[in-house]
Amino acid sequence: MPKRGAQPLQGEVLQGTLDLLVLQTLLLGPAHGHTIAYAIEHRSDDVLQVEHGSLYPALHRLEDRKWIASFWGTSENNRKARYYRLTPAGRKQLAVQTSRWEQLVNAVNRVLRPQSE
Amino acid sequence: MSLLRFFRRSQWDEERARELAAYLEIETAENVARGMSAEEARAAAHRKLGNPTLVREEIYRMNSLGFIETLWQDIRYGARMLRKDPGFTAVAVLTLALGIGANTAIFSMVDWLMFQRLPVQDPKALTYLGFVRGGPLHTDVQFSFPEYQQITAECGAQFDGMAAMAFGGASGGQSGPDGLTIQGKTHPVQTYFVTGNFFSLLGLKPAIGRFFAPQEGNSAGADPIVVLSWEYWQSRFQGDQEIVGKSVAINGHVVTIVGVGPKGFFGPTPLLHIQAYLPLGMLVIDAGTRSDFLAKSDARSLNIFARLKHGAAVDQVRPALDVVSQHLLARYPRPDEKLNGMRAVPLRPPGMVTSESGNPLARTAAIFITLGVLVLMLACVNVANLLLVRATVRRAEMAVRAALGAARHRLIRQLLTESLLLAFLGCVAGIATGLAATRALGAIHLPTILPVSFDFRFNWLVFAGALLATIISSLVAGVAPALQAARPDLNIVLHDAGRSLTSRRQRLRSLMVTAQVAGSLSLLIVAGLFARSLQSAQHADVGFDPHLVSNLTMDPHQIGYTEAKGQSFYRELLDRARVQPGVASASLAAWIPMGDTEFGGPIDVPGIEPVKGQPHPSALYNAVSPGYFHTMGIPIERGRDLSESDSTSAPHVALINRAMAEKYWPHQDPLGHQFSEPDKPKRPIQIIGVVRNFRMVDPYSPIEPAYFVPLTQHYFATVTLHIRSAGSDSGVIRPVLTLVDSLEPTMPVYTSSMTEALSGINGYFLFRLGAILTGILGGLGLVLAIVGVYGVMSYSVSQRTHEIGIRMALGAQRGQILTLVGRQGLWLVTAGLAIGLLVAFAVGQLIRDFLVGIGPADAPTYLVVSALLAAVAAAACLVPARRALRVDPILALRNE
Repeated sequence: MPKRGAQPLQGEVLQGTLDLLVLQTLLLGPAHGHTIAYAIEHRSDDVLQVEHGSLYPALHRLEDRKWIASFWGTSENNRKARYYRLTPAGRKQLAVQTSRWEQLVNAVNRVLRPQSE
Repeated sequence: MSLLRFFRRSQWDEERARELAAYLEIETAENVARGMSAEEARAAAHRKLGNPTLVREEIYRMNSLGFIETLWQDIRYGARMLRKDPGFTAVAVLTLALGIGANTAIFSMVDWLMFQRLPVQDPKALTYLGFVRGGPLHTDVQFSFPEYQQITAECGAQFDGMAAMAFGGASGGQSGPDGLTIQGKTHPVQTYFVTGNFFSLLGLKPAIGRFFAPQEGNSAGADPIVVLSWEYWQSRFQGDQEIVGKSVAINGHVVTIVGVGPKGFFGPTPLLHIQAYLPLGMLVIDAGTRSDFLAKSDARSLNIFARLKHGAAVDQVRPALDVVSQHLLARYPRPDEKLNGMRAVPLRPPGMVTSESGNPLARTAAIFITLGVLVLMLACVNVANLLLVRATVRRAEMAVRAALGAARHRLIRQLLTESLLLAFLGCVAGIATGLAATRALGAIHLPTILPVSFDFRFNWLVFAGALLATIISSLVAGVAPALQAARPDLNIVLHDAGRSLTSRRQRLRSLMVTAQVAGSLSLLIVAGLFARSLQSAQHADVGFDPHLVSNLTMDPHQIGYTEAKGQSFYRELLDRARVQPGVASASLAAWIPMGDTEFGGPIDVPGIEPVKGQPHPSALYNAVSPGYFHTMGIPIERGRDLSESDSTSAPHVALINRAMAEKYWPHQDPLGHQFSEPDKPKRPIQIIGVVRNFRMVDPYSPIEPAYFVPLTQHYFATVTLHIRSAGSDSGVIRPVLTLVDSLEPTMPVYTSSMTEALSGINGYFLFRLGAILTGILGGLGLVLAIVGVYGVMSYSVSQRTHEIGIRMALGAQRGQILTLVGRQGLWLVTAGLAIGLLVAFAVGQLIRDFLVGIGPADAPTYLVVSALLAAVAAAACLVPARRALRVDPILALRNE
């Protein structure tokens, strides 16, 4: 149920991009899986629709690389939930991945619109 | 991936489950807040999340080391399948265990006998010197001390050292080992007389005390010291730590113990355990060694070891040795003129140094290796067969698994894992079997008074080899059915529930049954040949009557007797033994027929000139007392027996056996003719009688010429008193022992009955050992054949239950069904028998020299064994065939 005219890019999120989005979301503070999924959807104006289940393997992978850490906490409406927070290594990784992403976007843009520069 | 998480992944999975549940709760709560009904909210939350199980599986896979994971699964599944079918598992594991265990034991023994390396420094560089006669392995390896000195002087610099040594008890006057006396008790001891540098040449260090100094041993009788072997020190002296400096008597000569050799060093020859080392010059304490032997160029009783320079090959020293050998032969001529040059020969166990009559040890080893490999092959074929049968039974299972989505490679891997699991279980059981069999073989008592080191160990290298062969064959055996099972035509298999006959696999199995029957038939025939041969050897006429004869072997030389003293001791002993109650007759001889030793040598017969290139005329000889032939029950065919008047001063006389008469005096009366021994040409021996041929060396060789001289004219220190008992038992031995004791309390005596003596190494020992070992192997082969035939037949019947049911429903008679089922099996068995007979015939040729009284194509053995195997195999066919008769047609047809 996209709110505006744009089509959701379901299933087309580039591998590795999800990692970047998760790290970026956690930059604002610890969050649990549910929050992270909705945050990504909202912040992209619902263009990026994550199948919420597929988020969890990504979280697991990031935790495995020690870019995020997890702990059990209590959610806003008093439920037990597993929270994730960014580690210092994750912060560094976020910077690296962000600049790489920007390079990639710029490069793709240059290919698509060479005259407009 | 952290290994820790791999092992805790089920715990992790639980966490994930909780986390996902938490998501659902939160999402459901929010959906409710958005106004959905509780049910709707939950369903929507599930839609949003996707399939939680898939998510968990994905994470679980991320946590696992894929290969190990599936391997572990396969192993557990395989173990479950094996447990489900304990009969199959037991048979397969037992088969492998027997195959691996028997082979490991046999190969361990052969490896020890043939390829054992000396526990010395750089054993590969050790050689012995010898004159080559004809082929490279026919060598004359005996040197005198002056020759040794000349060799070291001329080419010692080409080597890293040379040493000379001589076996004690090997010189002419003695036919037994030396004696070592402590506290009035004398026991035989295997001595070795060595030059002072012997131990340093081998690079050995004493366990305690010291070895010899370089100059010790260079003068006759000057160094009364002895070094004991570690094992002898342990057994005879209980490892006495204060041993150094103590004195013992060897052959009555007092010597001081100066050291003990390293543990595990039994001397340079296999089997023979050297227990005491003395300086070379001490060889004079041996009977028959002259006090001036070190100066005599023709006193050739020494062997020479030479150590090659580091990294050098034997060919590099050849030119130098050629020069020396020319000088040597010019200065110290040898009677044998066919000697080529001197060579350095790598020191290998004498089992590898072929004598002119070939190498029985190598041939025996070859036979047992062949049989062992045959058993292992049978075992592998058997397991392969069982796996094939099983794979066919499990076709339906495989098809179901494939239909449920198992990948083909997973199915193959599953089956191979099961094969490996079997091989592993077989390996564990094989270690146990092999250890037990090795211990049993090692405990075989070698009937000899010589000290024997028969201490081979379970050989892990060999075991690894057998295991590898098993693993490979069970993999190969597992691959074929795995490939087929993994490519099932699902439709056919599932519809058919495994009823159809797959002819190709059927053919493979048939081939294996045939191979098994053939293999075990040849094993059984070889075993039968050995057993028959043992039987016929034991019942064969040895030419003398061993029953009721007891032997007392004595060696007064071991307690320092001189020849004169020894002669008078024996005269006294014989006179008094003959009048002992219960003694029918008594006599003396230097050696026991088919015993540990034999004496023979060249003779000169007038009118027979030695031909170049032909062996010098020779004969065995024994020194005996008058009455010897009477005691032994050997008829004197012509002439007279020895008598008391054939004394030292009388003309020298001898009786000869018929073989000698026929060989050297054909078509003549040999009585009155003369011959002489080349080293005593001025002392001709006159023939006074001819005795019937009897066996003197072993139970199977052709009878050699032999002559018998009086002990009075030809003294031996080691003498055996033969007592023929008058009664029906041989209990006469005790009073005679008392008699010896009253004459000389310290006299070392070894007693045996003549029948015991005949079971010795040169007697029936090898036949018995061969019969036992091949009997065991043949039994194994029989069991394997039964299992194989039975397994395949009963499987075949179970596969045809449906068909049999139809036939019976249509009115087939019991006999027809029996024929139908039995015929196939009997065909396979018959083919196997035919092939097996051919194989056995070929193996029979290999062992023909070891067979006594029967040929390698002994018809009764072939017939009886074939009939036995045919009967057993037929029974193995018929039991399942009879089961086919009990098939209830209605059940068989309905049971689909």
